[in-house]
Amino acid sequence: MTTPGSPALLEIRGLTKRFGATLALDHVDLTVAAGQIHALVGENGAGKSTLIKILAGVHAQDAGEIRLLGEPVAAQVGHLPISFVHQDLGLVDELSVGENVALVAGFPRRRGLIDWPCVWQRAREIYAGMGVEPPDARAPVGTLPAAGKAVLGIVRALSRQARVVVLDEPTAALPEPDALHLFDILRRLRAAGCGVIYVTHRLGELFGLADRVTVLRDGRRIRTATMSEIGPEELVQDMLGRAVEMLHQHHAPATASARHTGLQVSGLHCAGVGPVDFRVETGEIVGLVGLRGAGQERIGRAVFGAVPVQGGELRLEGVVLPPGDGIADRIARGIALLPADRPLESVLTGLSVQENLLPHPVIGGGGVWLFGAPGRERARAAAILQQLDVRPRDPALLIDWLSGGNQQKVFVARWLQSKARLYVMEEPTAGIDIGAKLAIHRLLGSVAEAGAAILVISSDFDEVASLCDRALVVGRGRILGELRGAALTVDNLVARASLGSRHAPAPVAAGEVRHG
Amino acid sequence: MGERAAATDRGGRAGAQTGRADAGARGRLTEVASTYGLAVVFVLVMIVFGLLRPDSFFRAMNINTVLVGQSVTALLALAEMVPLATRQFDLSVGFHLGMAQVLIIGLQVQNGLPWPVAAAIVLAVAVLVGFANGLLVTRFGIDSFIATMGVGTLLYGISNWYSGGAQITGSDLPASFTGLSNVVWHIPLPALYVALAAVGLWVVTERLPVGRSLYVIGASPRAAALLGIRTTRYVTGAFITSGVLSGIAGILLGSILETGTPSVGPEYLLPAFASTLLGATSIHPGRVNVVGTLLAVLILAFSFSGVQQLGAAFYVQYFFNGGILIVAVGLSVYAAARRRAVAATGAAGDAAAAGDAP
Repeated sequence: MTTPGSPALLEIRGLTKRFGATLALDHVDLTVAAGQIHALVGENGAGKSTLIKILAGVHAQDAGEIRLLGEPVAAQVGHLPISFVHQDLGLVDELSVGENVALVAGFPRRRGLIDWPCVWQRAREIYAGMGVEPPDARAPVGTLPAAGKAVLGIVRALSRQARVVVLDEPTAALPEPDALHLFDILRRLRAAGCGVIYVTHRLGELFGLADRVTVLRDGRRIRTATMSEIGPEELVQDMLGRAVEMLHQHHAPATASARHTGLQVSGLHCAGVGPVDFRVETGEIVGLVGLRGAGQERIGRAVFGAVPVQGGELRLEGVVLPPGDGIADRIARGIALLPADRPLESVLTGLSVQENLLPHPVIGGGGVWLFGAPGRERARAAAILQQLDVRPRDPALLIDWLSGGNQQKVFVARWLQSKARLYVMEEPTAGIDIGAKLAIHRLLGSVAEAGAAILVISSDFDEVASLCDRALVVGRGRILGELRGAALTVDNLVARASLGSRHAPAPVAAGEVRHG
Repeated sequence: MGERAAATDRGGRAGAQTGRADAGARGRLTEVASTYGLAVVFVLVMIVFGLLRPDSFFRAMNINTVLVGQSVTALLALAEMVPLATRQFDLSVGFHLGMAQVLIIGLQVQNGLPWPVAAAIVLAVAVLVGFANGLLVTRFGIDSFIATMGVGTLLYGISNWYSGGAQITGSDLPASFTGLSNVVWHIPLPALYVALAAVGLWVVTERLPVGRSLYVIGASPRAAALLGIRTTRYVTGAFITSGVLSGIAGILLGSILETGTPSVGPEYLLPAFASTLLGATSIHPGRVNVVGTLLAVLILAFSFSGVQQLGAAFYVQYFFNGGILIVAVGLSVYAAARRRAVAATGAAGDAAAAGDAP
């Protein structure tokens, strides 16, 4: 794209950064020309965010140089004509669109006071400059839809007249149509002669959008190629660093003999999700996996009654679940949900381990009186702690005293009291040590063997590959495909989740079933 | 060299282990000290003032005076405790108490109603007030601090409007009404009401699912909702309970004072609040609880009575209440911070121990 002779817009040479013993970036080169969208891909920890943080001036590089239009520059926060759109966008919901623009572009002033008409005017101009219909500049950002916020984040970044725009996973939380809208804006930027660095985990959306792609792995640049010359399989292979493995290694085959349908989901629709169809047999552990924001959590929460359902039918062991059910109703019907956000949604701070184990008789049984006599409640709690090997084994201790792994055992045990028919487990072992992780996996295995259906919602592909009988891959609110048996490997999960639906020529393996 | 490194490494691990044991022991000591702290302070207060004023402090009359005088504060503190269990403030209890006291006298004197009917009306109004508080907080999402402050101020307006801002003198009140606050068989009846309310609340908070749900909501509203607890109902119910107890306190205050004074009420809020918060430092450290609240009321009442007998001026009361509130909340914040710090070292120790495992 660059004409020979004219310097590239942004040129990174031999960029190196070390954090302690880890080499986060190892002599990475990256060149972005004017009028080019350059994709930057790689697994978590490959070095993408380190590179972006160096450009943003958050970290200083240990070696290597950055050139803008041929001139060597030192990155300092906010000094370079580079704009950043981060995943969380950094918008202030309580302030208006115009104020959010002004936070980045600066407040225009007259005699020292803020010139408000000029603030609104400038916001409108910036939108118009991008060929986007401006929203009401005085409307609070909190009233904009998710797509509107993403557009504002980008439009605002452009208000600094930057030559280079860096987008870090801006579409992670956007449903498909809104993401397409965003791609239009990127194409306009390209036409206007900007250089765009586009970071994403969704490889599928790069085809037809990006001009070039650079793959990072373990801090090293593996390949830079023109998009039209590289196929999706090669991209995935470069990211993983090996030919995609077909063999399914860790999983023990399911043992339950007489299976029947536990959960049946047909045509489920809820905020940004759907239509979704799948079923989970009793005695089966099914993984629901996807990239962050793909919608797998909402599916689980909709089944639990925590998210309103807009359409479709849910059945548990043949019985239709009324759509108006709240959480308490769904618990009563035999559904349990272990939330992913342990500190915020599971831990009852300041209460004892015993109270955390038995917080509500709807779950643990018990009538008018709280779990019988105090002594009996204590004995029951102590028995559970003993059984799960929770340490320290004192039901009267505050829950805050326990380590994350022991806390998580308590919360798994809390839900097992409910004798549910379907367990929705969100990230059941996130952030806990390997011993507790294995213990929880064993526990879930025995619960499934006893005849319950288990739906594991996890972004830990290792966990899904070793724990689940089947995995359903979710992308943009739909089920993209299913992996089972020997095809249920970490690599296939990564490939399936990253490539998306439109470009999903993931390695086809035995046992793989495709959904429309 | 390698050996030495290994030795230090072992030493380090052993250190981590003993450090964990230390943290555990220290934590347990803190727990025990704070669990029985208020009980010890209460005994100390009784001993110190009993020794300083042996002739007057333990006289039945003094004790009864304190108990009757503090029964209203105690009921109000219990009222405050219920919404506080869910981490919601109810700042309307003082104004509500004042309005109930004006109404119970006024309805008899100005409207000529028999006292049971007047009491029934006061209690019905109390349910409404609690419901209004709950509605504003749960349905409209107004911060409880602001919502109950607003409601309380409205109630103050109502009592002044109803009474015309003047004291209603309770002439010809029936003996069955004024007798509500008598001392019968050496037992001051108001103390009996407090005991009944306390036993009822203790059963609810310590032995019934409802009570645990209130504490669960207080610990984490989001976790509570995901446990199937209908948080809106429980929080509204907590405000209604608080309202009813405030109404009962108002009826009792009317019976004690035998007048309805519109300016009475707000000054009860702070002592009640202080007692509830001070009570939260003990028995179940870190959460409001019935026994702790009662102990706190008694400590405040008897130590103030003792200070008075030592010849303190009337205004000392305010220094006393304000000081106690700050000290109580300070103590509970400190205790919570200690617990967190100990918990952090405990958890870190656990993690280290887990890391040690092969």
